[in-house]
Amino acid sequence: MYLIEKENVMKIAEELAKNYELFGPVVDKGTGQVFFDRVNDSSEISLSAEIPAIPPKHVVFPQIERIMKYKYDRSAKKAEIEAILDNRSKAIFGIRPCDLTGLIVLDRFFLGQEFVDEIYREHRKRMFIVSQNCIAPFKQCFCVCTDSGPFADEGYDLNLTLLGDYYLVEAGSDKGKELVQRLGLKSADPSYAEMKKKANDKSISLFESIATDNKAWISRVMNRITTGFIKEDVWEYIGKQCFECGACTFVCPTCSCFNVEDHNRFDGTTDRLRTWDSCSFEGYTKMAGDHNPRHPVEDRRNKRFFCKLSYSQSKKYLRPGCVGCGRCQWVCPGDIGLPNVVTYIRREITE
Amino acid sequence: MDYKSGVCNFCGTGCGNYLRISDGKITGVYSSRNHPVSKGRLCVRGWHIHEWLMTDQRISSPMIKVDGSFKNVTYEEAVNFMMEKLSPYMGSSAKAIGFLGAPRWSNENNYLFMKLARSVFKTNNITLDSESGHRGSLNVLSKVTGFPAMTGSLEQIEKTKFIMVIGSDLTRINPIIGSEIHKAQMAGTKVVTLGSRKTQMAKLSNLHLQCRPGTLKLTIALIAKVAIEKGYMDKNSASSMAGFNDFASSLAAINMAEAIGSTGISLDDIDSVAKELCGSESAMAFWSTGISGADEDTVSYIANLFLIAGKVGKENCGLNSITGLANLQGGYDMGVAPDLLTGFQSYSDGAVRSKFEKAWQVQLPAEVGNDVYQLLENKNKDLKVLFVAEHDEGIVKYEKEIANLDFVVYFGSYDNPFVNHADVVFPIAALIEDDGTYTNTERRVQISQKRIQAFNGVLSVRELFSMIAAKSGVKWSYNSSEDVFKEIASLTPSYSGLSYDKLINSTGIQWPCNSEYPNGCKSFLLKSGTALSFAKVSGTFPAVNVSEAFPFLLIPGRGEYFWHQNNIMKKSYIPKREYNATLLVYPKGFIEINSEDAKKLQVREHWTVKISSDKGSMNVSVKISEDVKPGTAYVPYFIKEMITDFLLGHSDKSDMGLDATIPVRIERV
Repeated sequence: MYLIEKENVMKIAEELAKNYELFGPVVDKGTGQVFFDRVNDSSEISLSAEIPAIPPKHVVFPQIERIMKYKYDRSAKKAEIEAILDNRSKAIFGIRPCDLTGLIVLDRFFLGQEFVDEIYREHRKRMFIVSQNCIAPFKQCFCVCTDSGPFADEGYDLNLTLLGDYYLVEAGSDKGKELVQRLGLKSADPSYAEMKKKANDKSISLFESIATDNKAWISRVMNRITTGFIKEDVWEYIGKQCFECGACTFVCPTCSCFNVEDHNRFDGTTDRLRTWDSCSFEGYTKMAGDHNPRHPVEDRRNKRFFCKLSYSQSKKYLRPGCVGCGRCQWVCPGDIGLPNVVTYIRREITE
Repeated sequence: MDYKSGVCNFCGTGCGNYLRISDGKITGVYSSRNHPVSKGRLCVRGWHIHEWLMTDQRISSPMIKVDGSFKNVTYEEAVNFMMEKLSPYMGSSAKAIGFLGAPRWSNENNYLFMKLARSVFKTNNITLDSESGHRGSLNVLSKVTGFPAMTGSLEQIEKTKFIMVIGSDLTRINPIIGSEIHKAQMAGTKVVTLGSRKTQMAKLSNLHLQCRPGTLKLTIALIAKVAIEKGYMDKNSASSMAGFNDFASSLAAINMAEAIGSTGISLDDIDSVAKELCGSESAMAFWSTGISGADEDTVSYIANLFLIAGKVGKENCGLNSITGLANLQGGYDMGVAPDLLTGFQSYSDGAVRSKFEKAWQVQLPAEVGNDVYQLLENKNKDLKVLFVAEHDEGIVKYEKEIANLDFVVYFGSYDNPFVNHADVVFPIAALIEDDGTYTNTERRVQISQKRIQAFNGVLSVRELFSMIAAKSGVKWSYNSSEDVFKEIASLTPSYSGLSYDKLINSTGIQWPCNSEYPNGCKSFLLKSGTALSFAKVSGTFPAVNVSEAFPFLLIPGRGEYFWHQNNIMKKSYIPKREYNATLLVYPKGFIEINSEDAKKLQVREHWTVKISSDKGSMNVSVKISEDVKPGTAYVPYFIKEMITDFLLGHSDKSDMGLDATIPVRIERV
């Protein structure tokens, strides 16, 4: 445990910017919307900004990404193929615990199973992560229901907690320790561990008064979803409200579905692209001859919640797929963000 | 940060977005949480606009057709070639020339297109492409309220107490408006949907009046009739408005029992809707304009119904004509019409015309022009030359008539089947390669700024048109889109208070914005001195009789499908897959019939059937759906053969908009 003065905390970002491409929360001047994005200078980052509208997922899993390039020479009947891997070193500064948990879930999907996704691995392997604990929740938050905040437990190189005039800095890796030493941060005495715990308790106690948008008591619902004891008409009620826009998937810190397309370029080459995709789309599961195992929209919806909230799926992620960030709720044209779906299912249980 | 704010360019909702621009290239899109219309939402199209904008399927060089094949040339050469070919048709009033404008183009580009037509080529044959119904709505709204656009505001949907959605499925065509209505419904607003198909909008309503195909207008008339006869109406003001007696007596002429029978809706339902509409504190009507939208007569009935209910010009009320294309409203605002100048100013008004003549320093032809599509449909012999801007549809209607023209000029950014019909093709800068303003369905003027360099160095519309004008001896001196906008504001009373400065620092301003409304105008509110009047109605309702020979009522419509194989949708990946899926599975198109009818016809899903009418026939696949009632059938048109061979034969019907119905026979093949 180390300490850095509140006004000096950006020195960590400045130090990282020397060797890494820097990403962090940025407030759009015109509209006030917060993004988590690449910055040219660490001064663009606002550590105190609210939870960003976009999770940092796109840093490791871009919305649209070139993964290969090829050119076919018709006369010589020869193809040149070139794999494209993003080997830039990236530092993400100020990621919140929910989004950090999202990153851990993505790691388990792309790296932790039978197949390792080398494109994702390239994004991920030179990465430096500085997380910041939420000393107070935001309106949309429900990470206390999903065990993914308000304080981070794992997955960071450095973790920041604002305690009065100081940030408590915890190193979660050798890389993190090395940076702390390079910056010459002073050690924090053991009493800070107690202060941090108090700050965590306080943050949790603030949920009741601040985080009023969403609640999702998921454990009972996980049981129901896993065992399938949910009435058809509940799924129909949910499916009827799905506008099939894909937004819930795109804003979700843990959603990992993708599509692969070949993009013909004006210069005669072709780019192979990997793009975000969504299980809410009919074309996503459609097979040849118009067969679709998940044809009705409610089947596609229930697949999404099965993916987020069933035991079998959670075994793969080693936790539920939802991290309690509340983004799916405010982007949904229907009224079926995950917290609401949990409410609809619980309502049925109570009835 | 790489995210830059912008405006979505698909439908007329005008959602705010952020485009991600990294190193001069588009790499993504995100929704805008603080935008007053979209509030963080986008639809499937909006979430993939970057896929369309990054396409390389662009027109990369000016081309001229020599001996039937295209040759790449410079802009200079192409302009010279065009002006030389056109010299025989140039005159003081060129009946030979027509201009087909783009409802997706910015206000600035549409204004210059209109100016080019009128001041350089001296023609008033100017028409917005793909629009047919919107003008009808504007005429009615202008007549009834003096306000030539949607009178309500999308921001007020959540505040209104009663919503009537007429015809189209807003959840598909303008999903974010559909979403706003759905959210209002969840919060306690009563939502009633009128239409022959059980759409998602209908499923999300409190009440769906599923009338028989072809009786939508009649259903609206019946609600009005009941409102008057049962005394639910707003007695204080409606009955003293001009035209009330005519309307009331035309309603009185309807035989209630007979009419109820033909709509297939119970009198109780009609009565409860009339009562609730009139009794509610505020109410809004929504209908789609454009192809398969409401026709002028139906819109007149809607407007009159709301006058009777006393729901026009009041807080949180609105007669809401919903545009399906990004700048359809703006296109009209810019005077892309044979008889209009900007801001719905009448071309026939001498004072208005001379204002433009003075500003443009040209003499304008005195006569108004003709609708270009009508000229094509009537095979008008005078029309020889056509200028076309960014044709959105992958299918070209009136292909034969266009092929018979002497000369066709095409301006566009994207590769398109229309290009093959052209004799000269000019590539132009696309969205976000130039600054421009767009006016959404609720009159919100928003700016979309230049974010990337133009593809392959192509010119902007402004640069190209200035070059063409110069070639004909007219000097246009615009250094920026802002210069063009200043000219628009100076000539257009409803836009006169708008400027780029104001727009850049806002999420759009709703016109009128002028000395009377310095901050714009959210919705039309009645002031003392303004008089409302009833719209004239036909009083006739199409008979929708089936016969032994043609026992099914067919509803043609674009619905949620690949409308005319939309050209820009084809340049995306995910939306193309979603829309194309239908095209791949039903390469010949499909007909939706009820399972009961399928059983009777002894056909199953995907089997081919022959549909015949008195005008022709076509073969399509069967799709079984409970969204249509027994005895009715629905055909979305997205196949070229369906449009050209079958539906164009029924063009008299498609003019009827929502009530277009064709009696057909369906047979197993």
